[in-house]
Amino acid sequence: MLIVDTSGQLCPAPLIATKRALRETAVGESFQVITDNRTSFSNISRFLRDNLTGFSFTESDGIWTLTVEKTDSTGEITDPSEYCTTDIPHFSKGNYIIVFSSDKMGEGDDNLGSLLINNFIRATKELDLLPDKMVFYNSGVHLVSDKSPVAGQLQELEKMGVTLLVCETCAKHYSIVENISAGILSNMFEIAHAMSSAGNIVRP
Amino acid sequence: MKVDLLDFVEAGGCSAKISPKQLEEFLKFLPVVSDPNILVGIDTHDDAGVYRVNDDLALVFTTDFFPPVCSDPYEFGQIAAANSISDVYAMGATPVIALNIMMFPSTLLPLEVYASILRGGADKASEAGLRIIGGHTIEDNPPKYGLAVIGYVHPERIIANSAAVPGDLLILTKPIGTGVILAGQKLKMAKDEEIREAKALMKSLNAAAAGVMQKFGVKAATDVTGFGLSGHALKMARAGKVTLEISLASLPLTGGAYRLADEGCIPGAAFRNLDFVEDETFFADDLDYNLKMLSMDAQTSGGILMCVREDVSDEVVSALREEGMTASVIIGKVMEKGEKHLRLVNNA
Repeated sequence: MLIVDTSGQLCPAPLIATKRALRETAVGESFQVITDNRTSFSNISRFLRDNLTGFSFTESDGIWTLTVEKTDSTGEITDPSEYCTTDIPHFSKGNYIIVFSSDKMGEGDDNLGSLLINNFIRATKELDLLPDKMVFYNSGVHLVSDKSPVAGQLQELEKMGVTLLVCETCAKHYSIVENISAGILSNMFEIAHAMSSAGNIVRP
Repeated sequence: MKVDLLDFVEAGGCSAKISPKQLEEFLKFLPVVSDPNILVGIDTHDDAGVYRVNDDLALVFTTDFFPPVCSDPYEFGQIAAANSISDVYAMGATPVIALNIMMFPSTLLPLEVYASILRGGADKASEAGLRIIGGHTIEDNPPKYGLAVIGYVHPERIIANSAAVPGDLLILTKPIGTGVILAGQKLKMAKDEEIREAKALMKSLNAAAAGVMQKFGVKAATDVTGFGLSGHALKMARAGKVTLEISLASLPLTGGAYRLADEGCIPGAAFRNLDFVEDETFFADDLDYNLKMLSMDAQTSGGILMCVREDVSDEVVSALREEGMTASVIIGKVMEKGEKHLRLVNNA
């Protein structure tokens, strides 16, 4: 198998090498690309995903090895969500869950409360340890509606491996069942179980 | 001693800009300044700030600086200055005074290099009728250069990035692809004549564009730099609460840009910009991948993207071409705000 070692090279040189290898490889065959640069790794992955080219990768000590299989370029993408998770390196989850009982954070001005809770969700993504689960009930369910400004962030958290439990009774009450864009509709038994078995409960 | 400034840099020109996504996160934490005389502030992410002095005079204030984009110090000075002044033109204003901003490693590079960069900047400023009346230099490697520029405009004739109106057509005044060419230059993949063409583009002032926009009463424009055509179009769409549709097949490209992109010479900044726009962008299924990435390519001293009433759009294009902006072309349109702020399609 062709191995393209781009160690020490900076963007876009590794991408150029990948593209060249892709051109030289016959359909059905594979090659490997090695890079020691995180940005180059993420750009190559992005390029491959955009061009519906399947690949897998391993990482050790800051060296990424991508194994790329050249498929027929007209080939169907198998499952897009599969690709979305591949470039997200092992996120660690902590022994805690976050409970959203409202679509606002704190008491006071409602606009401020909305802003704060949105910022909280954005910040959650950056935490060293992600929550094991996030639970949404009462007006908290609005956060996972497709009209929520953080719907995309929550979908990403879900892809990063966080379980999002959304109270179905609440979604029905606010008539937004059709709009729920992240998480799984859940019942009070499941929610009670998640809360009672969590190491810590964080309530923003 | 012949100095090649490119030996000193990794990311040159507007590619060296911080990621737009990160920038937005940081800017959120700045206090909001409220003053009725601030006509254009930080909130709309426009090219420059605008302050009303009185009913007839507003000051346009902007700064921009970056590491070398070419080997020759004099040419680097010209390009950096043209790029800094461009923000003033994008607001429809006339540049008047400026300050030099320079970071320079005086122990690594001869001072003639320093002088050449400043001379390039001064010559470009004088071409723009701009007076450089001071500046500031600190020790730093790699070198960086740019201007802080003040221009003036009548408060009612400000051209903002927030004034796009559905039905307007989009006109772009310079070809795109300079980021790709600069990366190709560093990797010795770009041909000499391609580099020359890109440098000429980066050196050229957007002064004519400002004049034409004022003549035809254009209200909305922005200059295309580090966030790429798509990034700046998205900022414009957000600020104006509209949707911009760009037809990629109509994009003017600088020579060699497509070939280099096709060889994979796509700088990291383009991926950063893609990351920034994708949540709010509709991508047509049949998009050409290279054109898509070129629309993300960080431009140094790029063209003006303006929104023009449909009935005068052909006249505006002709006027721009007569003024020497020969690549000027209609590349898309402004629509009512749809599901996404930006639509990238092959053909309109």
